[in-house]
Amino acid sequence: MQLTSNDDYIIELKNVTKIFDGETVIDKLNLKIKKGEFVTLLGPSGCGKSTTLRMIAGFETPDSGDILLNGHDLTSFPPYKRPINTVFQHYALFPNLDVYDNVAFGLKNKTLPVAVLDESGNQVTKIDKKRIKQLLKQKKRIKKDKIITDKEKEERLKLLDEKLDYAFNNPVPFYKYRHLTEQEIDDKVVKALSIVDLDELEDRDISTLSGGQQQRVAIARAIICEPQILLLDEPLGALDLKMRKDMQLELKDMHKKLGITFIYVTHDQEEALTMSDTIIIMNDGVIQQIGTPEDIYNEPQNAFVADFIGSSNIYNGTMVGERKVKFLGKVMDCVDDFEINSQVDAVIRPEDIHFQTEPKEGYIEGKIVSKVFKGVNYLYVIMIGHNEVLAQTIKSYETDKPIYIQIRPSDIHLMKRDNNLNVYTDAYIDKNNNLIIGDNLFEVDVSKLVSQSRVDESGYVVTKDKEYDFTDADVTATIPTTAFLISDDTDGANVTGEIITSVYKGDHYVVLVRSEDEEDYFVSTPYTFNPGDIVGLKVDASSIKLKLRGDLTSYER
Amino acid sequence: MVKKILSYIYIYLILLVTYLPILYLIVYSFTGATITGQWSGFSFKLYGDLFKNKEILTALGNTLILALIASLVSTIVGALGAIGVYYMKNRTRKIVESINQVPIVNAEVVIAMSLTVMFVFIGQKIFQGKSIFSFYTLLIGHCTLAIPFVYINVKPKLTQMDPSLYEAALDLGTTPTKAIHKVIIPQIVPGIISGFVLAFTLSLDDFIVTAFTRGPGLLSGEGQIETLSTLIQAKIKKGAVPPEMRPLTTFIFLIVVTIVIVRSIYVNVKAKKASKLLSLHKKRRIKLNEK
Repeated sequence: MQLTSNDDYIIELKNVTKIFDGETVIDKLNLKIKKGEFVTLLGPSGCGKSTTLRMIAGFETPDSGDILLNGHDLTSFPPYKRPINTVFQHYALFPNLDVYDNVAFGLKNKTLPVAVLDESGNQVTKIDKKRIKQLLKQKKRIKKDKIITDKEKEERLKLLDEKLDYAFNNPVPFYKYRHLTEQEIDDKVVKALSIVDLDELEDRDISTLSGGQQQRVAIARAIICEPQILLLDEPLGALDLKMRKDMQLELKDMHKKLGITFIYVTHDQEEALTMSDTIIIMNDGVIQQIGTPEDIYNEPQNAFVADFIGSSNIYNGTMVGERKVKFLGKVMDCVDDFEINSQVDAVIRPEDIHFQTEPKEGYIEGKIVSKVFKGVNYLYVIMIGHNEVLAQTIKSYETDKPIYIQIRPSDIHLMKRDNNLNVYTDAYIDKNNNLIIGDNLFEVDVSKLVSQSRVDESGYVVTKDKEYDFTDADVTATIPTTAFLISDDTDGANVTGEIITSVYKGDHYVVLVRSEDEEDYFVSTPYTFNPGDIVGLKVDASSIKLKLRGDLTSYER
Repeated sequence: MVKKILSYIYIYLILLVTYLPILYLIVYSFTGATITGQWSGFSFKLYGDLFKNKEILTALGNTLILALIASLVSTIVGALGAIGVYYMKNRTRKIVESINQVPIVNAEVVIAMSLTVMFVFIGQKIFQGKSIFSFYTLLIGHCTLAIPFVYINVKPKLTQMDPSLYEAALDLGTTPTKAIHKVIIPQIVPGIISGFVLAFTLSLDDFIVTAFTRGPGLLSGEGQIETLSTLIQAKIKKGAVPPEMRPLTTFIFLIVVTIVIVRSIYVNVKAKKASKLLSLHKKRRIKLNEK
């Protein structure tokens, strides 16, 4: 475990895990944010981005892991002791106070250190009681942690004991604290209000302000304490579109002026692309990709990111040669290289599709089925075989006519595909010869485990000369995504679960269904489902592949 | 038209039925006759008697002191409880809320009986068989009655409040206690006041719980605490209602009416002020937009 930290990073999350009512919302999150950056946490609702922000703010405590501020453990600090301020989603302005008092609220709680000198004018030193208290709190927190290993726990407790020893034996300069004077507060409030362009509204009631003005008050209130980090939790969600665009630019401007780190949470990908230096894409409590807006747009790391950022065409492809990929029924040249015959996802942005009305070498024939004017350009849906292709161009073409499109090798972005098959390595066979994955039961033909065998009346697998009992046998089960029938009807389904993600692949969707016992199933379906839907999965038992783990002979009777 | 007249008649009939007895009582408080229903000419005699009747004055004093303390305690416990429950986990909150419903719908006599049994039990087991019935048991009885009502008065104010206000206060450097004091309490003051008033009136005219849980104390000294309701009950048992009760109830009624009127005037004036201010700001905004 590395304990040294780079000075460049203002905040660092290390193996942070958060569990709500037995459900892991954040799973071993690791994150480093540089000083002065504008970072956006982006993801669909329920992906854990707000929880991450709330842990940085101090409203939630992680169940395991550390949050470091400038390299120092911040995890057990309450929100009112963190040099971090938040702009809340619905502003959370205090309705009983006017604009001035709302903005001044934080300053009235703030204290400044005053050096204490002894008679000869030297700085008085005392043992740092606060630090000791903090270290004791950390010890308590680590003792309670159920996720880290005992060895790690021991090491960390030892380290904390060393730090405690050091704190006891090394007095530090002692300060008294004083509140700010009325004049100091007034100066700062006036300055903060002028930063957000609200100079003349000081004595207005909160209820008489428009949404945009309330937003500005909320920002002024948060920046007045000069936090090291400003957290913004979907602050523009309640504003209308035009206001939102203006505020986006203004926030970006404010970030430059103030020079502090901004951590911004949103589910709006356009907002993230416009404002951020770095985007962190999250889904299902796990970081999918970290990068600059350009990186994320041009080089998405997986199908989820490609689908979430901008609109894109994603297809199942197969590598058929060196830098040759087959999808949409055609073999195409590409720049990414993967092993021959490996399964890949091919991503093409709509604006990278080139049109031609006449047939030409290397062009693919399709038919325009719909056309929508989008202001600057047109958005077309082209059918190539069964696959839909989204394309975007400035020129106008007629619908229902054949069209020829070209995709340049450099515009094809390939990603390794990992969700073609569902593989469960911890499955087993129960005494009734059913396959058990997690808590779910599947009726299978266990005679598949032994060649040329059948199942007799008493449930044993028999061959010509041997008998096997597969009760409690550990197996690896493989289920192709196409083996599932998915529907809203949960009666009689093998698996009931919630849709976590859904990605469109030209002619079908690949959805991730998570069952109540936290098993994941990737399912291909021609129908649309939304994340959060509860669905039932029926499985075609004949397409489940079983492989026995361990020796066959040990199951002989 | 006929329908309208009929509906008016209906409303006024109901109002008449509710207020006629009170009106009757007020009128008969201005006569010297001791027997209810007799008119022996206009006089203030009963009012004079009222202030000479020690028994009634003691009961009145007891009632007011008890009502004040009980409603204060219930308001503090109920309001703080509501804040605490509001920030609990969803499931725990629902459980507490259902438990809170029970005393509201439960028959008062059940509450009174169970309290008595509990106090007797505690007296026997912990206080070596001594009776613990006193002002404090009476206070506990009245608080048990009133706390659920304070809670249901404060709760809606909390749900109307932006739930992030508390976190916003913490974020800006206040400690949890200060955040409740500076941010949450100002938001729920109307609920606290109406909860207090309700608790006060509940305590004021309670009979069953009072009769079961009272002991010696307050202005009654060594004797059982008499409140107005227990006093009237005791008197009725022996004979007629004492005539001095007529002016007393007239007083109580007038005080309540005054409070209601003052409060509705206050609310009206405030609403008018707010709407005036809002329209002023709107006009200003329109002017700015025109520029």
